[in-house]
Amino acid sequence: MDVVSNVVYPVAGLLGLYAFVSLASLVWEGIDRKLVARMQRRIGPPILQPIYDFLKLASKETIIPNTANYMFRAAPILALATAIALLAYTPVGFEPILSGKGDVIVFIYLLTLISFFKVLGAVSSGNPYAKIGAAREAALMVSREPAMMLAIFTIMWRIGKLGVDKPFSMATFYQHNIWEIGTPMSFVGALILLYVFAVWLASEIEVGFFNIPDAEEEIAEGLLVEYSGRYLALLKLTKALKGYIAASLVVAIFFPWGISGYFGLSGLSANVVDLLFHTLKVFVVLFVVQSVFRAVTGRLKITQAVDFLWKNAFLASLIGSLLIAMEVIM
Amino acid sequence: MTEKVEYWVKIPFGPIHPGLEEPEKFILTLDGERIVDVDVKLGYNLRGIQWIALRRNYIQIMYLAERMCGICSFSHNHTYTRAVEEAGNIEVPERAEYIRVIIGELERIHSHLLNLGVLAHNIGYDTLLHLTWLAREKVMDTLEAVSGNRVNYSMVTIGGVRRDIDEKKRRVIEEMIKYYKEAFPQIEEAFLHDPTIEARFRDTAVISKRVALEQGAVGPTGRGSGIRDDARWSEGLGVYPDLGIKPVMPQDVTGEKPRGDVFDRMAVRIGELWQSLELIEHALDAMPDGPIKTFPKDNVLYAKLRLMVDGEGIGRYEAPRGELVHYVRGKKGSDKPLRWKPREPTFPNLFSVAKGVIGDQMADFVVAVASIDPCLSCTDRVAVVQDGKKKILTEKDLLKASIKKTREINPEIKGDPSPLGVGCVR
Repeated sequence: MDVVSNVVYPVAGLLGLYAFVSLASLVWEGIDRKLVARMQRRIGPPILQPIYDFLKLASKETIIPNTANYMFRAAPILALATAIALLAYTPVGFEPILSGKGDVIVFIYLLTLISFFKVLGAVSSGNPYAKIGAAREAALMVSREPAMMLAIFTIMWRIGKLGVDKPFSMATFYQHNIWEIGTPMSFVGALILLYVFAVWLASEIEVGFFNIPDAEEEIAEGLLVEYSGRYLALLKLTKALKGYIAASLVVAIFFPWGISGYFGLSGLSANVVDLLFHTLKVFVVLFVVQSVFRAVTGRLKITQAVDFLWKNAFLASLIGSLLIAMEVIM
Repeated sequence: MTEKVEYWVKIPFGPIHPGLEEPEKFILTLDGERIVDVDVKLGYNLRGIQWIALRRNYIQIMYLAERMCGICSFSHNHTYTRAVEEAGNIEVPERAEYIRVIIGELERIHSHLLNLGVLAHNIGYDTLLHLTWLAREKVMDTLEAVSGNRVNYSMVTIGGVRRDIDEKKRRVIEEMIKYYKEAFPQIEEAFLHDPTIEARFRDTAVISKRVALEQGAVGPTGRGSGIRDDARWSEGLGVYPDLGIKPVMPQDVTGEKPRGDVFDRMAVRIGELWQSLELIEHALDAMPDGPIKTFPKDNVLYAKLRLMVDGEGIGRYEAPRGELVHYVRGKKGSDKPLRWKPREPTFPNLFSVAKGVIGDQMADFVVAVASIDPCLSCTDRVAVVQDGKKKILTEKDLLKASIKKTREINPEIKGDPSPLGVGCVR
C-alpha cells in the first residue's frame, strides 16, 4: 500500500478543498445579500460581510442556557464535521476525492445528517421556539428528500446503462451526463428533473417558500434561537457549506462540463481550473434558486410547504423519472 | 382503553419578539402548530400619560397627546382638540377643517403603507416591505414639507390649525398625488394578486361579523369583517360629508364577499389609500380662503380656554386603525382638564383577533396580530383593584414595588435604590 497516495494526498486535498469552499461559500452569502439588496433597491452590506460576521461571532461570548444538555454543544461541531466529511464525496468540477461504488447513498446520508444534527441541537436547547423549529425542520426534511432521491437514483441508473466504471458513484456524472442519453423524451424528462432539483435545492437551503424552520418573525430564528457566539458561527459556516454542496450536486448532474480540456491542462492545475469554473456554475445556480427566489416570494405555512413538496415536486419527479426510464423499460 | 392524550404546551409570545413592533405579551396554548387558546397580557408599554396630562394645561396636552403614538400623532391631537372644542363651544374656520382633512389623509396614507410593509415582512416577503416603505418616503417628505416634521406634525391647535397650506406647499402635495397615481397600481398589483400573499393571508385569522360586533371591532378590522362603519362617515365629521366620504368595504376592492380574514383587512387598507388620495385632491380644490384659526395667539387661547371650557366634550375621529374617541371634562376657571380619557381602536381589535386566530397555525399568529395594525403604546392602561376597591398607587408605592421585584429577580444586586433628586414633584 502506498501511504502517500492513499492517505496524504486525499487528506491534503480535502483540507485544501475545505479552506477554499468555506471562503467561496461565505463570499457567496455576501454576494447573495448584495444582489438581493440591489433587487430590493437597497445598498446592502459589503460582500465580505459574512466573513466579518463569522470572525466576530467566533470571538464573542457563548451563552449556554441552563436548560440545555450536552448535545446542545456537540451538535454544531458534529454538523460542521459532517459537512467537511461530505466535501470528500462532493463532485466539485472533478471526481470526488473519495469516490467508490454507490457513494451516492453516503452523499445523501451525510447531507441529511447535517439537518439531523441541527434538529438534535435545537431540541436539546430546551427552548419552545427551537422545538417548534425542530418539528418544522423534521417535517420539511422528510418531505423534500423522496423527490430528490427518486430523481437521482433514476438518473444514475440510466447513466449506468451507458457504461461507466463505478455505477451509482458521484464520479459517473463526469463520464456521461444526462443530456447524452439523447432521446427527445429523456430531454423533456431531464428538464422536469431540473425543476425538481431546483425545488429541492431551495428547500435544502431554506429560502423563499421554505424559510420555515428559521422563520425569524414567527419563531425568532427557530432552530438557532438559543445559539450564540462560537456555536452560532459554526452553524452559519455549516449552512453556507451545505448550500454550496447541495448546489454542487445540481451542477454536477445537469452542467458537469469542465473547461480544463480546452486549455490542455492536466494534473493539479486542471483540477484548480475546473474547481474555479465549477464554483462559478454553483454561483449561477444559487443566484437563480436562492437570490431570485427569495426576492420574489414569501414564506409558506409548513402544511402548505409539505403539500407543495409532495403534490408538486414529488409528482414532477415521478413523471420525469418515468420519461427518462421509459425506453429502457419498454 | 385508548384515551386520547393531548400534548398541549403553553408558550409566551412576547413581550419582546422579532415579529412584534411593540412590547405586548400573549400566552399561546399550542397543540403542535395549532393554536388552541390565546391569552392577551397588556401593560408592557404603560407610561402614565393620563396621570401626566392631569398636571398639564389644555395647550400643553395637545403636545402630549401627539406623542402618545408615533404613527397616529395627528389623530390623537386632532381628536383631543375636537373634544375640547366641543366642551368650550369653539368655532373652527372652514379653511382649517380642510387643512385638517388634508393632513389627516396624508397620515392615513403613511400609516397604511407602513402596515402593508409590516404584513409583507411578517411572511418573509422582504422585497415588498422595502418597496412599500420606499413609496412611503414620498408622503413622509410631503408631510415634512407641509408641517415641518416627519412624525409629530403639530398642525392642529384648539380652534383651527397652526400652519397654512400656501401655493408652494400645495404644489408639493400635487406632485405627491402624481407620484402615487403611478405607485399605487403597482402596490395594489403586488398585494392583491401575488400567489404567496394569497396563500398566506386568505382564510387566516377569520373574524366573523358576529365576533367583530361582539368585541366591538372598529376601523379596517371591523370593515374587513363586513361592518359598514367609519367614524368620518357615520359622525358626519367636519367637512368630510362635503367631500363625499363613504366607508371602504372589502368587496369594493376585491369584488368578493367580505370573509373577515387578513386578506380582507389588507384590501380595505389598499382601498383607503386610493380614497385618501381622492379626498386630498378634492380638499385642495374645494378649500376656501379665510382665517385658519379662531384665536390668533396662544396666550389669548389660553385665557379664553380658562373661561370657555365648562362641562364635557367628546371627540370622534377615524384614525388609520379605527375609531378613536377622546373625552374631556373641564371646569370654568381652571386651565387644566378634570378628566381626559382617550379610547383607542387597538383595544377591541386586539381581543377580536385573539378570538379569530384560534384554530389557525402558529405561523399565522404574527400575521394576524400585524393585520389589525396594533398600537400598544396608545392602549396600555392600568387600574389596581384590591379587595373590590380601587386603589391609587403613588410614586413611592411603585418605587417600592419595583425594588422588591428587582431583588426577587437578582438578590445579589448592588446599588442604592433610593431615588436621585426629589423625583417628580408634580
